[in-house]
Amino acid sequence: MRAMVRPDPTGWPLRPNDADPRSARHNDKNGVKRMKIGTHFAALGAVALVAAPAAAADTITIGITQNNVGVDSYQTTYERAFIEAADADPDVETVVLDAGGDVARQIGQIQDLIQQKVDAIIIWPTNGQAVVPAVRQADRAGIPVVITNSQIAEAGFDFIKSFSGPNNIVQGEYSAQMMCDALGGKGQIVQISGQPGYTTAIERQKGFEDELAKSCPGVTIMETQPGDWNREKSQRVMENFLTKYDNIDGVYSGDDNMGVGALNAAKASGRADGMVFIGATNFAVGYEAMGRGEYWGSVYQSPVEDAKNALATAKAIVEGEEVPFLNYFDTPKITKDNMSEFEKPVF
Amino acid sequence: MTSDTTGAPPRAMLPTWSDVGHLAQRQGILIAFILFIIAFSFTSERFASWDNASTVFRQVSIIGTMALGVTVVVIGGNLDLSVGSMLSFATVLVVDLHDKIGPAPAMAITLVATLAIGAVNGILVGFLRLNSLIVTLGMLSAIQGVTLIYSGGQNVDITDQEATWFAFFGRDFLLGVAVPTWIFLGLAVVFQIVLTRTAYGRRVFAVGGNPMAATFSGIRRSYVVFSTYLVSAFTTFCAALILGSRVMGSQNNVGQGYELMVLAGVILGGTSLLGGSGSMVKTVIGVLILGFIQNGLLLMGYQYYAQWLVTWVVIILAVWLDVASKRGRLFTTTT
Repeated sequence: MRAMVRPDPTGWPLRPNDADPRSARHNDKNGVKRMKIGTHFAALGAVALVAAPAAAADTITIGITQNNVGVDSYQTTYERAFIEAADADPDVETVVLDAGGDVARQIGQIQDLIQQKVDAIIIWPTNGQAVVPAVRQADRAGIPVVITNSQIAEAGFDFIKSFSGPNNIVQGEYSAQMMCDALGGKGQIVQISGQPGYTTAIERQKGFEDELAKSCPGVTIMETQPGDWNREKSQRVMENFLTKYDNIDGVYSGDDNMGVGALNAAKASGRADGMVFIGATNFAVGYEAMGRGEYWGSVYQSPVEDAKNALATAKAIVEGEEVPFLNYFDTPKITKDNMSEFEKPVF
Repeated sequence: MTSDTTGAPPRAMLPTWSDVGHLAQRQGILIAFILFIIAFSFTSERFASWDNASTVFRQVSIIGTMALGVTVVVIGGNLDLSVGSMLSFATVLVVDLHDKIGPAPAMAITLVATLAIGAVNGILVGFLRLNSLIVTLGMLSAIQGVTLIYSGGQNVDITDQEATWFAFFGRDFLLGVAVPTWIFLGLAVVFQIVLTRTAYGRRVFAVGGNPMAATFSGIRRSYVVFSTYLVSAFTTFCAALILGSRVMGSQNNVGQGYELMVLAGVILGGTSLLGGSGSMVKTVIGVLILGFIQNGLLLMGYQYYAQWLVTWVVIILAVWLDVASKRGRLFTTTT
């Protein structure tokens, strides 16, 4: 690094000089000097940051620490949409951070944001339980906290102002209603759920099962097995279902990625015709299969809406507006009939 | 068991009890496997059918193909935990490139890239003599990172699923048997022959069994260890072809946890983690036991969480039967 920092006319990253201890000491001195200058600039920058909101009294600063950008397309799109929405709003400045799936780093980022005295903090929890103490610190420092996408543990509810995200129970209910419509209120189905222990999976399954039992008693769930959000695993589970049951009228999957795995298995065994496939979180592959008429319906959950909703919720809270504690964004049903109203998902 | 060896029994047409005893002693895990199949057949009539058996063979072919390569590494006295991430990487790469440059070039590039990862493992473990557990565990997360960077978090899919001949590897049948099964069992036969009938195979056993003796016998140990990692990278590449073609798409973490399934199959089969002993037949049986347990429990309708528990019980029973048949009694009577 040092060699890179120094202006080097030869362009060689390692010159013989660098091996010379005296030269190295010299470098060290330089390095220290530079560091001092660096911190000086950083300090100036920090002053500027703090000064900026004071100068323009209208701007508010919102910090966000995300779960793990880059690990899947949903989170990648979410971050892009969040930054775009913030850029489009002249009243909002943002500090966008990513915890990289690491709880400890996320807690550190929350503390940094508290130090920076931002006006609100948005958190996409890496772990609903472990972030609670840091959330409490923010609350004590008088900074409102908004949780986005995945809820934190109930112990932290007193320290947050709002939760912005999808309502997974309602998504499960929507899927149940579509299944009921598609089967005409009568049939035998199987369910492929998400990763065991994962809140989204549990809530969707609960919403689906409760709604089906309540409003569609003619449709029975023969069996539920987890597909772990993994298409290949779901394909295996579905193959076993197909061996076990001679008659399967419908398949509900916790997301379209798994649903397409189930569809693959049914097609391979020649039994996909007339079988109803319902999913959730419409994926591009699900959208395409829907276009071909192989996939009946799903729930459209847009990361763009998710991000916009989080930003709008935080902004409203800072501006003193009343915001519901559970501030859900709309996740509509999508079927072959209305799919033209939706853009093909990016993931 | 000791009484069997006292006098040579007269040769008869039918196998005698002592022959059965000898077989059980050598192939305890096979006996366990057959017992499980019989037990499962009683509990579900759908279990013992040709259709179900062929489904299970197809389902285990991904894990099984990877396990063949890992068996070679383990016989050579090392471990390879990086195969899970390597599978994710290879599958994402081959599926992503499929639509961009066509199936054949995509496969070629993926093969080279996967072998390159294997080569890095091989250099670190073989030539630098670093601990294989640490090297490949590190590689497991490094390659997951590379996969995420390459894909940018996006899922990749093959657009035209019906037209591409890439479907051959995961979806087609030859002579009524699925292609994945052919790949799995075909490679198993080839590897078994290489291990038992060639000088290379004997070198792998020698290096794993006693590295010092192998070195003094003039075997270039570093090269042999290096080559075993190329073998496991190659089998992971084959597994990626099956997976990518079967699913016609890939998530960037699709192979997560597969390394443990692979290792479980290898060890359950009876290949020693200490190196120097093992066989492809054992690994095939180990992988099949795991596959049939999962399939059988699902057909019986066990609740998901109970399946984990029952899987453990069955594995313990299998290992116990294996050990018991080797020592000739169920319990030890050491004082």
